[in-house]
Amino acid sequence: MDNHILLQALLVAIWAGIAGIDLFNGLFHIHRPIVTGVIIGLIFGDLKTGVMTGAAIELVWAGMVPLAGAQPPNVVIGGIIGTSFAILTGQEPKVAIGIAVPFAVAVQACITLMFTAFSPVMHKADQYAQEANTKGIERINYLGILTLFVFYFVIAFLPIYFGADAAKGVVETLPKWLISGLGVAGGMMAAIGFAMLLKIMLKKQYVAFMIVGFILVTYMNMPVIAVALIGIAIALYDYFKANSGDGSVRGVAKRGI
Amino acid sequence: MESKQVVTTINHTSSPDYYQNGATEQVVTKKDLNKMVWRSLLLQASFNYERMQAAGWLYSILPGLKKIHKNKHDLSESMKSHMEFFNTHPFLVNIIMGIVLAMEEKKQNRNTIRAIRVAMMGPLGGIGDALFWLTLLPICVGIGASLGQDGNPMGAVIFLLIFNAVHFALRFGLMHYGYKAGTNAISSLKENTKKVAHAASIVGLTVVGALIAAFVRLESSLVIHAGKAKIALQKDLLDKVMPNLLPLAYTLLMYYLLKKGFSPVKLIIITVIIGIIGKIPFPFGTIL
Repeated sequence: MDNHILLQALLVAIWAGIAGIDLFNGLFHIHRPIVTGVIIGLIFGDLKTGVMTGAAIELVWAGMVPLAGAQPPNVVIGGIIGTSFAILTGQEPKVAIGIAVPFAVAVQACITLMFTAFSPVMHKADQYAQEANTKGIERINYLGILTLFVFYFVIAFLPIYFGADAAKGVVETLPKWLISGLGVAGGMMAAIGFAMLLKIMLKKQYVAFMIVGFILVTYMNMPVIAVALIGIAIALYDYFKANSGDGSVRGVAKRGI
Repeated sequence: MESKQVVTTINHTSSPDYYQNGATEQVVTKKDLNKMVWRSLLLQASFNYERMQAAGWLYSILPGLKKIHKNKHDLSESMKSHMEFFNTHPFLVNIIMGIVLAMEEKKQNRNTIRAIRVAMMGPLGGIGDALFWLTLLPICVGIGASLGQDGNPMGAVIFLLIFNAVHFALRFGLMHYGYKAGTNAISSLKENTKKVAHAASIVGLTVVGALIAAFVRLESSLVIHAGKAKIALQKDLLDKVMPNLLPLAYTLLMYYLLKKGFSPVKLIIITVIIGIIGKIPFPFGTIL
């Protein structure tokens, strides 16, 4: 019996690793609960319950999609843990969802942490770029894939093998302020990336356009696409005004070839 | 046609933003483009909050860059500039790849390439969200889940088939379309590169301004008790001055510190410390 659950937990963990990679890379969407339900059903030898629970969880997550970088509760772990517990405990799909969602939220917090932790690696990548070391850049990306696999493997294996209560206990021992503090830092982190872009792109004559873009989103809640179209409109006007040659234009015309 | 030949002989070495080897030669084949579509599946392999998809983006276009820039100095300059912040929709990235590869192959000014890349990534992110997460996915999920609820495993198969047919048709189509469009547009615009760079910078900076407001998240949850009055710092004070004041201020602070010579790693550490301190439950509440 013990060996049996160990083998099943390992198989589930391998699937979690693959699906976890697919959530961000490949995006074949084999990570969706509707697919995971079939796989987990096959692993535990109860295809019908697996498929039905997967479909029920799928509908819960249908509206939870990553919009503008905001991450919803983790759909991979939600689907895997939910379906597994539905089959193992014989509960109906609705109860499985109740178990799955808290797990999925906790896992998403860990992903936030991982995305934060991977930031310093970019400076190694900068160094490889400087050296024109293409192999180095490739290694960094493969390392990212490996990290994702190991992370999902462990996260799925432990609760299936040791049971739900034990895993829940571990999550609860971490102080809440630490986890949410890292979440806040994750939200602020993009500021560093934008600041680096500004350091390169921002010249005095462009400050006005940055202000326009910022205000259109802040006060009018415009989607980024709309703001870009306004930017294009200004750029086109400026471009053809400079082209028409009706005097008073900046001195780009004098670029000798 | 004439202008095309003249342009290849311009001495670009005078400007640091041009490649040392300005010779343009078509080296990227259809096969290369297809290969890079497959590589772009790993766009988010090294995703992180500082540069987001930058290293994955560089990984995706690397075979093309290697073929285009045989000069090691040029390859290094190109790789460095593609390690800058990048984030877009993972499916629509292929059109940006096509256009950027065409520009690299034509040895465009690196500032122009950067500006095009930045100007495209934001809007495509928005289009992709609407197209895939809010349209294609719900449709496919609806079809698949209705079968699955009855216990029919074919629901999963049908879901995967429909979704990926659209997904990969778009990826390959956009890559080749982008490359062709880029090549054609460049030869006609080439004499005007400076003006194009200027126009692209206008769009780029407008988009960056928008992205700061849309992406950087920083809010205070502090409530100040002044006698009987309660003032919620964010809602009653900061939002009255300007919504998104803190995200803008924080971005400008990071910009200022970068210019002062702070390394990005230092800025990450500062940010994490601020985040954690912000959530410590002080007697007067949490700051963030």
